[in-house]
Amino acid sequence: MSDRIKAILFAAILCLICSVLLTTASTGLKGFKEVNVLIDKRRNILKSVGLVQEGRTYTPDEIQTIYSQRIKELWVDPDGRLIEKPLTDEQDIPLYVYVEKEQIQAYIVPINSRGLWGRIYGYLAIKNDGTTITGFTVYKHSETPGLGGEIEKAWFQKNWVGKKIVDQGGEFVSVSIAKGETKDVVPEDKNLHYVDGISGATLTGKYLSAGIRDTLENYEPVSIRFRKNLVSEPPG
Amino acid sequence: MNGTFTKPWGAIRKTKSFKDIVKALWQANPISKQILGICSALAVTVQLNTAIVMSVALTLVVAFSNLAISSMRHVIPRNIRIIVEVAVIATLVILADELLKAFMYDVSKQLSVFVGLIITNCIVLGRAEGFALSNPPFRSFMDGIANGIGYSSVLIGVAFLRELLGSGKLFGYQIIPDMFYELGYVNNGLMVLAPGAFIIIGLFVWLEHTLLNRKS
Repeated sequence: MSDRIKAILFAAILCLICSVLLTTASTGLKGFKEVNVLIDKRRNILKSVGLVQEGRTYTPDEIQTIYSQRIKELWVDPDGRLIEKPLTDEQDIPLYVYVEKEQIQAYIVPINSRGLWGRIYGYLAIKNDGTTITGFTVYKHSETPGLGGEIEKAWFQKNWVGKKIVDQGGEFVSVSIAKGETKDVVPEDKNLHYVDGISGATLTGKYLSAGIRDTLENYEPVSIRFRKNLVSEPPG
Repeated sequence: MNGTFTKPWGAIRKTKSFKDIVKALWQANPISKQILGICSALAVTVQLNTAIVMSVALTLVVAFSNLAISSMRHVIPRNIRIIVEVAVIATLVILADELLKAFMYDVSKQLSVFVGLIITNCIVLGRAEGFALSNPPFRSFMDGIANGIGYSSVLIGVAFLRELLGSGKLFGYQIIPDMFYELGYVNNGLMVLAPGAFIIIGLFVWLEHTLLNRKS
């Protein structure tokens, strides 16, 4: 048997063994990973409305308890009404609401935005006045650590708190990521619609700003209803 | 052979494995002597927690890749040996990554790409190519463990200093009392950033070279 055939044969067998190993591990651990991902999503939803504190670790059970007590998973129909189950209509979009004393305190919009290297997934929570952001979190992304990856860091996320998605005239403007620090690059009257950018991550900021604008535009019908005080209690 | 019974420590010190281990830990420490694996040593040493998980992951990957490659060393075709080594290492690294994602999700998120980057860590391929290919499986396995510990010792040392000086904490618990902060003590912000790690690793290298030179 020539050396070449021997090498090809060896490589083929090795590949087979490696792929069997990896497939086994991946499918065998799938259940554990899915639970972890779910808990992490819920932790981020709670974080966006300030129900979990930064720096403290919560056990999965604690997260589940707080989540089931405070958060309701709802849907929004094209007219902006909250409904419990999506109808057959495909235009219904998911929404989470934070309920305390039977009143909606805030609603949480899932973010799925373009990033530089892949999708950015997170949550943006807005107070029941339909204008003020109470928190922004990211639970999955593929941006460069230290540059675009800073979007998952506390310093970046805390800048979102208190920003407004509508201007003083009541027009929808969204909130964008500035190119640099807001106090240097944005005129003072627009400060409420911009957050500090990340140096070295201009494109991540640009795509994420656009993604958030598009998402919030989709959710405008429900935001308008919140602004007009038409919703205060969860349906059902 | 009498010495084996009366002085077990002395006998252990004469074995080949022991000499390999000492070499990997001290005279040829992968980070401070060979300056390998610096990238991950900078990135994951802000906290002790991540540094330790990274150390364990790397130690296991080096040890088992050495074991696997050493067991196959007589049948690996010479011309594709690097490809074979990388395939074995990559498989082990992905296994380690999957395990972390399943059982230590938070740490795995903090380590982000750096677990995957163990594949490109020169220590792993270096030991496979330089040691496992020409030594029997058990010695190769021990060499992997030793090099892993050599890497870990520097990593954990750096992380200890960076977390203590940079955030006043160890394993996430506050160590420096509030009183110090009230008296005007300030955390060293440089330690949280990558340049801080460069400086500390530099000091480690300096210390080790000085001590080694003094001995010889």
